[in-house]
Amino acid sequence: MKTPKLAYVVEDDRITAAITELIAKKNLRCRTVKTFDNGQLAFDQLTATLQAGGDVPDLILLDLNMPLMDGWEFLDALGSLPLTRPVCVFVLTSSIHPDDMAKATHYDQVKGYFSKPLDKPNVARMQGLLQEVGGYQYQAH
Amino acid sequence: MSELTISLPPFSPFAQNHPAADNFLQNILLDGLWYWNLLAPTEGWVNAKYWQTLGYGSHELPTAPEAWRAPLHPDDLAEAQQAAEACLRAPDQPFNQLLRATHRNGATVWLHCRGIVLRNEAGTAAWLLGALFDVSHEKQAQAQAEELAEHYRQILSNQSVYIVKTDTEGNYTFANEYFYERYGYAEDIINTSSLLSIVEEDRAKCIEVVLQCFAQPEVRHQVILRKLASDNTVKSNHWELKGLLDEDGRLVEILCVGYDVTLLVENLQKQQHLLDVTSQQNMRLQNFAYIISHNIRSHSANLTSLVQLLAEAKSKAQKSMFLQMLTTSTEQLADTIVNLNDIVTIHSNVNKPKTVRALRTEIDKTLEVLSVLIRQHRIAVEVDVPPTLEVTVVPAYLDSILLNLISNAVKYRSPNRPAFIRLRARSEPGSVVLTVQDNGRGIDLVKNQAKLFGMYKTFHDNEDARGVGLFITKNQVEAMLGTISVESQVEVGTTFTIHFNENA
Repeated sequence: MKTPKLAYVVEDDRITAAITELIAKKNLRCRTVKTFDNGQLAFDQLTATLQAGGDVPDLILLDLNMPLMDGWEFLDALGSLPLTRPVCVFVLTSSIHPDDMAKATHYDQVKGYFSKPLDKPNVARMQGLLQEVGGYQYQAH
Repeated sequence: MSELTISLPPFSPFAQNHPAADNFLQNILLDGLWYWNLLAPTEGWVNAKYWQTLGYGSHELPTAPEAWRAPLHPDDLAEAQQAAEACLRAPDQPFNQLLRATHRNGATVWLHCRGIVLRNEAGTAAWLLGALFDVSHEKQAQAQAEELAEHYRQILSNQSVYIVKTDTEGNYTFANEYFYERYGYAEDIINTSSLLSIVEEDRAKCIEVVLQCFAQPEVRHQVILRKLASDNTVKSNHWELKGLLDEDGRLVEILCVGYDVTLLVENLQKQQHLLDVTSQQNMRLQNFAYIISHNIRSHSANLTSLVQLLAEAKSKAQKSMFLQMLTTSTEQLADTIVNLNDIVTIHSNVNKPKTVRALRTEIDKTLEVLSVLIRQHRIAVEVDVPPTLEVTVVPAYLDSILLNLISNAVKYRSPNRPAFIRLRARSEPGSVVLTVQDNGRGIDLVKNQAKLFGMYKTFHDNEDARGVGLFITKNQVEAMLGTISVESQVEVGTTFTIHFNENA
């Protein structure tokens, strides 16, 4: 059964990061999950990985409101990277501002926009999208 | 009467031989013929048409010798006599008089009499031969026209309407009384430029409308212009301009009809200002609603997830981990609510009373509070604020603003050079301007300009940063109707500039 190998969780709130990591592992069946406090750290890691020819993540769970480099800046930076295959990005935010939701649709890499909390319907939607985009398989609960 | 008739000299050369011509002269061309002995003024003769003009049928002509006098107005008759005597003295002078006569039905008939004075060779008799024309219709029309003119004059003079005409160069050619009265101008404005009395900012607008008049003279072109009165007050007028053409269709004058809209314009400006304030407040409130929902939601989302995870946890170790996280999360929520409460307080105290404070004293107090940190980090502080300079503020806000900006300058000093903080203030018309300058780490404004004064935005990896300081500062400055702006360069320094509003 095909499942995501590597996921990044980019989130400045430690508790949210821990919860998201748990869900990524348990419900989204990601084998490895790396968490980053802000966009800059995630981007630095990604750049270094690309240069070293390492594993690029299959999935990035991205918060919007973060210090140093926020979610939008991270998406802009991501677009400039020479990725050999597209990375699936889920925006994961507590913002319900309609502007944010509209803005997210302008990024090709963003395959889904989720308002926290990651409850059962949200998790089910994530699974559905991953199945569609990456051909990953999830058994219905 | 027949006796009298016979004694008269023939006054028509056609009377004997050409009765038809005589009839034409006496009854068709004229409305009456009058023969009057100037030496015995009661003696006279009128023809039948005279009586017909005054409403008598051909069978009821008065026959008494002096009957002709009765319908004529005595004043007019006396005047006619004087005029005729003048003609006697100067035979070349034409006799030309207007006489009122009473119609049989009581109405006034206006008779225009043109005549000649005849005298016999001995000079013993002098006769006025007068041809009478009924000009009652003309008189009536004239009276009506005058009445109408008076009617409009009254309407116009009782309306607050300006009527002005200018030539094609914009020089006054006419102005109505109301215009003179309201503007305190005298008639010497005629042939002077109308443009120069319009306030400078509105002149281009005026010229534009005049050009429209040239392009389309028949259409009314509307414009609101401010004009200076002789007492130096500025009044706003709504004008309708229209081109006046000569017979060849060339524009010769511009007719301007206007009325005062000063009050209207002032009220409109007040309303616009209120609207601006309200929409600004509305925008801030909406933004604030999003911020609240975002911040509360992020914690409530954590709580929801943690409770779920706790319920599903299998081991004791897991359970205690989630419980620990749950505790942290509730504490954070409490902090957030405290922060939000600070901000709500600012917004709900928009009308807090302002008092006058000496800025220098308040700055010194704040520096005193921070003196330990300032000494510890060897920061040079320069204060260039006149001791007499006063600001009108909500005192608690001023304290909070100063503390936040100065402590930021301390917190984000550069480790690479001796740090300084410079505070300067000066008075400007309507405001006091305070600048807080440091040579600290700086902020990349190209990237962060939009976020700088936002909530929960931090720009340096600083564990202490709550990300609410500048947000609160901005809200406090704006609640006092002031403004705050920033200039910054990474590794050079940051300067905040605050305008305290001294008008409100």
